[in-house]
Amino acid sequence: MSCNSSVTRVNVSSVGQAQRVPVHLLPCEIEHNGPAQVSQYLTATTKDCKQEKMVSFRGRGLKGQELSCPQGYTGFVLKETNKAGSDQEDRTVKVSSVFDKLTYWNLETPPNSDDTVVMAMDWPELAEAIHGPVED
Amino acid sequence: MDLSPFESDNSVSCRLASQIPDVCRTEDCCLGIDEAGRGPVLGPMVYGICFCPVSKKQELKDSKVADSKTLNEVERENLFQKIDESKSYIGWALQILSPNTISTSMLQRTKYNLNAISHDTAIDLVQYALDSGVQLKEVFVDTVGPADKYEDKLSKRFPGIDVTVRPKADSLFPIVSAASICAKVARDRVVKGWSFSEDMGDVEADYGSGYPSDPKTKAWMLKYLDPVFGYPQFVRFSWSTAQTLMDSKGVTVHWDDDDEDGEKGAQRQNNKSMLAYFSASAGGKGQTSTHQTHRFFTERRLKSLDAL
Repeated sequence: MSCNSSVTRVNVSSVGQAQRVPVHLLPCEIEHNGPAQVSQYLTATTKDCKQEKMVSFRGRGLKGQELSCPQGYTGFVLKETNKAGSDQEDRTVKVSSVFDKLTYWNLETPPNSDDTVVMAMDWPELAEAIHGPVED
Repeated sequence: MDLSPFESDNSVSCRLASQIPDVCRTEDCCLGIDEAGRGPVLGPMVYGICFCPVSKKQELKDSKVADSKTLNEVERENLFQKIDESKSYIGWALQILSPNTISTSMLQRTKYNLNAISHDTAIDLVQYALDSGVQLKEVFVDTVGPADKYEDKLSKRFPGIDVTVRPKADSLFPIVSAASICAKVARDRVVKGWSFSEDMGDVEADYGSGYPSDPKTKAWMLKYLDPVFGYPQFVRFSWSTAQTLMDSKGVTVHWDDDDEDGEKGAQRQNNKSMLAYFSASAGGKGQTSTHQTHRFFTERRLKSLDAL
């Protein structure tokens, strides 16, 4: 939580080396951090029908949609470089890849505007309205 | 039997059917229902119906289609040829349930079990025959579950048709044997010619019978296990054989509708187990943080970077 004094540093220079990659957001938690055969399994079996995409993962039906990052924003996939031993220590993360669109997937239900990640994209516009300079 | 409609997309369910013989539209007919590939962990399950005029029953019997389960693959292929040659009075239709359909149905949020799938598929096929103008009077069904209940269900669904549901019906009624041959031939051909939509390079096609008890099937499943994705869509993920192998050799995947009970599950889902309220540290205060994040952010799962 915010009661400790540790700092999280983003290694900004890593943005330059970060690759632009396809990103998928799945409606489950996979206990795995590392490479996966995404294009061989997921992309190869994905079906595009109109606005909606369909695939199955581990035998469960998923429906998905492509979602763009808000204008002027870039998505970052962050990776912790030195894992801190305790929550008092500072943490450093680097940008391992960048994206300007992602495919998000729901379990069985079609993607819609009430989905968390779709709603999250409202924030930049709202932030601009709240925190941006006031003009008369 | 042209399997290309299924092979063009082997991830979904598909219906194949013969021409409807003219005589079946004018004469009283009997119809048999059987399935092939219920038990295997690999490949589709195929439901088959076969129908002919009641007056042709003897002819069918003479063609020795009986006892399909005791036949080998070549004999079945030959008998299917025979059925096909009798197309002036025998018709058939198949429903190929892809392994992906089976997996996603059985693992749905609201579970759709194999018996329910089987019943619905059988009903759809009978309805297809009726819609095609076949004058159905008798229906014979092979079953694995309790026969009485199923017979009741079908009789109510199709009033005016005499329904007989029996275990081992394929050895009792030639029209059921014929249905069983059509279904089994289709399943064998589909399994043999399976084209993987996954990009897996050259896949060893020596997967045995597809039954979990077959050592060849087991070896194949060990070899083609991907730690993250598990298996290609050729495998029925809802089978305990597949689940067990993924649990032991693959990475764990949690879904929001998993029924994980106990403290561990609750901890993972970030809510408190009932037990937590009885532990020594339970002060009843809950959150001590003075800073409450606005609903706008929690609803969108937005967090500030320092809370990573």
